[in-house]
Amino acid sequence: MRFSIARYWRERHSLYRLNATRCLKCKRVNYPPSRICRYCGSRETEEIEVFEPGKVVTWTVIHSSPEGYEEYRPLIIAIVELLGSGVKLLTRLTDIDPEDIREGMLVEPVLRRTSEDGEAGIIRYALLFRPMIKGAQGHGHTT
Amino acid sequence: MKPEENTGIVGWGSYIPRYRLPLDEITRIWGFSPETPKGLRVVEKAVAGRDEDALTMGWEAAYNALKRAGINPKEIGAVWFGTESKPYAVKPSATVIAEALGITPDTMATDLEFACRAASEALRIAIGAVASGLVKYALVIGSDTAQAEPGDILEYTASSAATAFIVGPSNEAAAVFEASYTYVTDTPDFWRRAYMPYPLHGEGFTGEPAYFHHIVNAVKGLLEKAGLKVEDFDYAIFHQPNGSFPLKVARKLGIPKEKVLPGLVTPYIGNSYNASALIGFSKVLDQAKPGDRILVAPFGSGAGSDAYSIVVTDKILEKRDKAPKVEDYLARKKIIDYALYAKYRGLIKRIRR
Repeated sequence: MRFSIARYWRERHSLYRLNATRCLKCKRVNYPPSRICRYCGSRETEEIEVFEPGKVVTWTVIHSSPEGYEEYRPLIIAIVELLGSGVKLLTRLTDIDPEDIREGMLVEPVLRRTSEDGEAGIIRYALLFRPMIKGAQGHGHTT
Repeated sequence: MKPEENTGIVGWGSYIPRYRLPLDEITRIWGFSPETPKGLRVVEKAVAGRDEDALTMGWEAAYNALKRAGINPKEIGAVWFGTESKPYAVKPSATVIAEALGITPDTMATDLEFACRAASEALRIAIGAVASGLVKYALVIGSDTAQAEPGDILEYTASSAATAFIVGPSNEAAAVFEASYTYVTDTPDFWRRAYMPYPLHGEGFTGEPAYFHHIVNAVKGLLEKAGLKVEDFDYAIFHQPNGSFPLKVARKLGIPKEKVLPGLVTPYIGNSYNASALIGFSKVLDQAKPGDRILVAPFGSGAGSDAYSIVVTDKILEKRDKAPKVEDYLARKKIIDYALYAKYRGLIKRIRR
C-alpha cells in the first residue's frame, strides 16, 4: 500500500475541487485549507473553492520519477497562480509537451488520475492543469 | 401529453482527449491491407492520455454540461454514468464525478452497462425521473476508453471520448423531448466476459441482425408513436461504429446524408462507444437553430437501440457559448504513433507494484 486511503478520502475536496479557506481577519486565502490562518494565526476562517483558471509562474521537468509514477513520466511540476484568488499552488501540468510550456501561459484545472496503488489498489484522482482550450472561457469560477 | 414533453436538455457538453492515432499506424503494425481503414471511413481515432480514463473524461463532459445548464449542482438528483470501460470493476465512477462536481450527497448515483447504449438508457430513465417529479435535474454521462484486442479489426475504431446531458424541466430546456422509444432483443453480436481485457464480436453478425435491425426498428417505433415522418427531421444522428454505417442506415430510412453529416464525428475520432451517437447529438446542439427537430438513435450491442425526437428551443442561443464545443475539442489534437498509443492505453505489460 503506497498511500493512505484515509488521507486520500480526507483530502478529496481539495484534490477534486480546490477547496480552500479564506481568513475573515486578514482576508488571505489558505490552500490547502486550514482552520487556522497560516498568515495571521486567526481562527476565523470560511470555506471557499478556488477552482479557477491560472497562469504558469514556473515549472520543472522530472525524468527520474518516484516509484509508482513511471508511466506518467516526464512529470511536469509547476507553480500556477490562480487568476481570481491569487493563490499560488504546486501542481502538475498535463496535455502539454515540456518544450511548449511558457511563463504566463493560461491553464485550467482538469480532473485526472494522478497515481494508482498497484494493479488492485485505489486509483487517486486530482485536479491537474492543462493549457486552456480555445473557444472556452476557461474552467472555473472566481470566488 | 406524453411524459417526454415535460422534459428537455438543460445543459450539454462533451470531451475529446488530445491524442489522435492515424489508422495507417494500425495498418503498419498489424499488416492489414491499406484499403481496410478506407472502407471504415475513419481517418484517426482519439486516444485518452495516460492520466485519463472514462471517469476523468466523463467529469469534463459533465462539467461542460453544468456550465451550459447554469444551475446549482446541488439541485441535481441523479448522476447516471454509462460506460463499458469503468476504471473500477466495483466502485462507482458516478460517485467520484458527483463528489468532484459538488452534487453529493443528496443524489442518486450509479454506473450503467449495456455496451454502447447504457448512457442512452440512462437518458430515458432521466426523462422518466424528471417527468414524474422524482428529481428536478438528472445528469447523464456517456464515456468510454473503448478496448480492442491489438491486431483485431475493432482496434481501428475503438476510441476514447465522453459526452453529458443535464435533463430537466422543458421550460428551462435548450431542446425538448417530444417522444422516445426503445427496441431491444437478445442478439450475440459483441461481448466481453468477466476478467477478459478485450471484447469479442460475432464476425459478420454486427451489421444486419444487430446495428441495422435495431436502429431501423427503433426509429420506426418512434415515428409511429410520435406520428412523425422522416421528412419532419432537420438532423439525424445514429450510433457511429464507423463512418459508413450511419450513412447506410440513413439510406435505408430514406434520410439524405446532408442531415447526417453535421452529427457524424466518428471519421475524426473513431467510435467512442457510449459517447458515439450522443457526442454527435452534442455537436448538432452546438450548431442547431431554434425550431429544428433532431432524430437521435444510439445503439448498443447485445442488443438495443433507442430513438428520440427532440425539438430545439430559443434557449439554445444563450447556452451554446458557455462551454467548449465539440469542434473546439476536434481542433485540439496531437498525432501520436502506435508505440505511444500502446503505452497510453495500457497495452504494454508491466509488473506494477
